[in-house]
Amino acid sequence: MGDSKLFPHPREWAGELESSLAETLERWAESELMAKRLELKESYADLLEPAMRKLFLEIGLQRLLWPEEHGGDGHNRPSAALTAASALEQVARGDVGIAFALACLFALQQSVAMEGSVKSEACEELSPLIGSNDKLALVAPVLPLFRERPQATAKAVRGGWSVEAVGARPAAFGGNASLFAVLCSLEGSDHEMGILAVPAEAKGVEKGDPLKRTGLAADVHCPVSFSRVRVPEALAVALGPEECRAFAAWLFLGISACCVGAMFSAFEILREWGDNRVIKGRDNVFKENPLTASVMAEVAKEVSLSRILTWNLARMISLPEVYGPAGSEDNLVTALMIAHQVAQSAERATHQAMEMMASAGYAKEWNLERYWRDVKTLQLALGPYELAKMDVSRRFYRAVTL
Amino acid sequence: MRTIDDFTRPLEYLSPLDDPLGKIVREWAEEHVIPYRRSFDEDWKDHELIEPAFKVLMGELGLQRVLFPEDLGGWGLGHSNYAGTASYRLMEEVARADSGMAVAFGVVFWPLVMICMEPHVNRTLCEEFAPIFCNTTEPRFAANAMTEPQGGADIENFEIVKGSTIRTTAVLDGDEWVINGHKLWPTNSGGVCNLFGVVCTTNPGSEDPNDFAFIFVPADTPGVTQGPPYEKAGMAADKNGDIWFENVRVPAHYRAHGPGLDLLYFKEVITFGNMGSIAFVGGAMMNVYERLYQFVSEETYRGRPLKEHDAVAGVLADIARDIDIIRIVGYQYARMIDRPDLYGPRWDDEMVAKGRAYKYWACDRAIEDLGKAMNLMSTYGADRDWDVEKHWRDLKIVQLWMGGKQLCQAEVARWFFECETL
Ligand SMILES: Cc1cc2nc3c(=O)[nH]c(=O)nc-3n(C[C@H](O)[C@H](O)[C@H](O)COP(=O)(O)OP(=O)(O)OC[C@H]3O[C@@H](n4cnc5c(N)ncnc54)[C@H](O)[C@@H]3O)c2cc1C
Repeated sequence: MGDSKLFPHPREWAGELESSLAETLERWAESELMAKRLELKESYADLLEPAMRKLFLEIGLQRLLWPEEHGGDGHNRPSAALTAASALEQVARGDVGIAFALACLFALQQSVAMEGSVKSEACEELSPLIGSNDKLALVAPVLPLFRERPQATAKAVRGGWSVEAVGARPAAFGGNASLFAVLCSLEGSDHEMGILAVPAEAKGVEKGDPLKRTGLAADVHCPVSFSRVRVPEALAVALGPEECRAFAAWLFLGISACCVGAMFSAFEILREWGDNRVIKGRDNVFKENPLTASVMAEVAKEVSLSRILTWNLARMISLPEVYGPAGSEDNLVTALMIAHQVAQSAERATHQAMEMMASAGYAKEWNLERYWRDVKTLQLALGPYELAKMDVSRRFYRAVTL
Repeated sequence: MRTIDDFTRPLEYLSPLDDPLGKIVREWAEEHVIPYRRSFDEDWKDHELIEPAFKVLMGELGLQRVLFPEDLGGWGLGHSNYAGTASYRLMEEVARADSGMAVAFGVVFWPLVMICMEPHVNRTLCEEFAPIFCNTTEPRFAANAMTEPQGGADIENFEIVKGSTIRTTAVLDGDEWVINGHKLWPTNSGGVCNLFGVVCTTNPGSEDPNDFAFIFVPADTPGVTQGPPYEKAGMAADKNGDIWFENVRVPAHYRAHGPGLDLLYFKEVITFGNMGSIAFVGGAMMNVYERLYQFVSEETYRGRPLKEHDAVAGVLADIARDIDIIRIVGYQYARMIDRPDLYGPRWDDEMVAKGRAYKYWACDRAIEDLGKAMNLMSTYGADRDWDVEKHWRDLKIVQLWMGGKQLCQAEVARWFFECETL
């Protein structure tokens, strides 16, 4: 079993569900991914898709946050933010890309399925996919790339929307998405923006050629164009800035938790190295050397602090009565700061773990380098840090022109 | 428009070959590498795309010959007083296109430094091995086999470990060395090597510098087995694998110089390794500048090019600053290599320590800057099509090889602060 228990998190926030789910997912990661990856490497068809099917469909995480009345498990209260974080950590320990897929799905589900504000028509439209025993609900968020304009526009037409975008870049899962969550600027609506759920098989959706990317092999990434794609009114899953921000806050929480899970794995690989490698030629066990021990300590610190931060973010999102709605401006900025901080920690930790393992860290055989690539790729889904900082300054210093 | 040639280098001491060589290599890169490099990662095992580019550079243009004396078909760089600055430029230009190719190409000369460089030319061995490289238009590869399964850093950590962990043994039997051992990771192994320079011990466990031996082994000698290449995070153009030496017999005179001198001049090999590493980093980062320049000029934010956003420009400035300084430092070190009369022998601990300092500094800067460059590009930063992520993956190993960062730190502290037990 993994080492995640070593890393502190506020245990009083984790209930029975979080603990038992974490254990199930730890086992899933080990049997479906870790045990097979030396042989199957990063094969989508042979390793990642089957593992995803087991997770989403058999274990049923696709239905976890879905309302019971729509065929789900009914964990659709804000407290699910903690459930999501604890699940994503363990999934990402096995594969960061698969965890990111789940994070994207959770972000969409919370938009329509939160107790007290369930959007029943949207749930009905989406239930055949999410409740399916056969189809993977892979959600590709299409968000502004440089924190500016949405990449797509939607015009109100009779009974729904018509979506347009040319060569838009999803944050992930363009090629294998079953559903696009497209943030659009809205024409003919009271709301300036909204997120529309666009089924991948809808007429007018055109996926481009898959792109070669640094990491996240579960993400079959490609640009996508929408040409007069008709979307029923019910599939406007988020309307107005606050609901769109809630989607983003959940996504940022997901990215944070994925980074923590990736760090769990990097830590475990490094710990094994530290226990067994000998340097300085004198039976000097690696971890007992002050210079290397100090770098290894940095890795442990990054994992620990990142986990504490991520759980705190989940806690804030899970208590709207204390912290306000997930989509408040304040919560979004907090989520953004934490996600960037944790992603940077994950980048540093995986870099440092590789430094400790030298050529073994660089060889695919040791599996460390994939977490390093995955974490970096995932970080880029947050958009440029320099531009995110403008949001932070706007909030804390009341800057108005940034 | 600014170009990579606007990055500073000390013009007053460039080699006379700088211009012509730089031009030849840049043209080669534009024609034979840059159009294909986005498919190199998938070509890591077979080198179907990579090999033809090596053939042009090394075999047809003849750059694999540069270190050998002219009368043996080489270009005489080993006899010149500009081997450092000329080879720095070569490595930098190749690395701009592909640092994996630069490594594979540069390492051809790495073991040959032992025998081709003044003042310790081993004429007999030059005569013996020059034909491998000079009498052909096919690419020929040499490898410097130091690293062993139990650890690479220890083998380079001469000051403290003193060669005592080397397990590859060389035993003199009549007028032949008999070599046994297992090496891994050398650049240009994985099946492509023609000539190995092998770090051995003549007395396992010994800390006596006289027992350190550097022995050449042609790859087709009976008893040499090269394993297949490893799959890595990047640097597909460099093949690395296991090599087993089982009762391999080579003539006694294949030992580079003999007791004491092998270790002494091997430190010069480390010096060149550090210089090459800086050149790989500098060259690749110059290409990062080119690609990033295009990206931040084309991509817009609030109706203006991304580069016109002050906060973005601050990061761009940091990146350009680092590339400029890496280049200046790299050429400075190359110059120190070229002028032992001013800076001391290339195998001095001072030269080795300073090379380690510059190398790990350049690597740290580059890795951090690459991370930031990818970040500025948002999701495009992870696209192979933009090349920046390739350099990020490739350059990581430059930071990790040759003993890794901590060995660099130990050696630098050891020299500057005269630490005794590190
Ligand atoms: C693409 C590539 C090309 C390569 N080319 C060559 C080549 O041409 N020839 C060759 O012989 N090898 C080559 N190598 C191997 C490389 O040089 C070694 O990987 C490197 O020297 C580190 O050795 P190691 O991997 O065995 O790690 P170790 O020796 O186990 O070291 C691991 C880490 O331990 C730490 N460490 C080690 N010793 C100390 C110490 N005394 N104090 C503090 N910290 C310490 C460092 O952080 C180091 O990074 C190559 C590797 C790659 C991936």
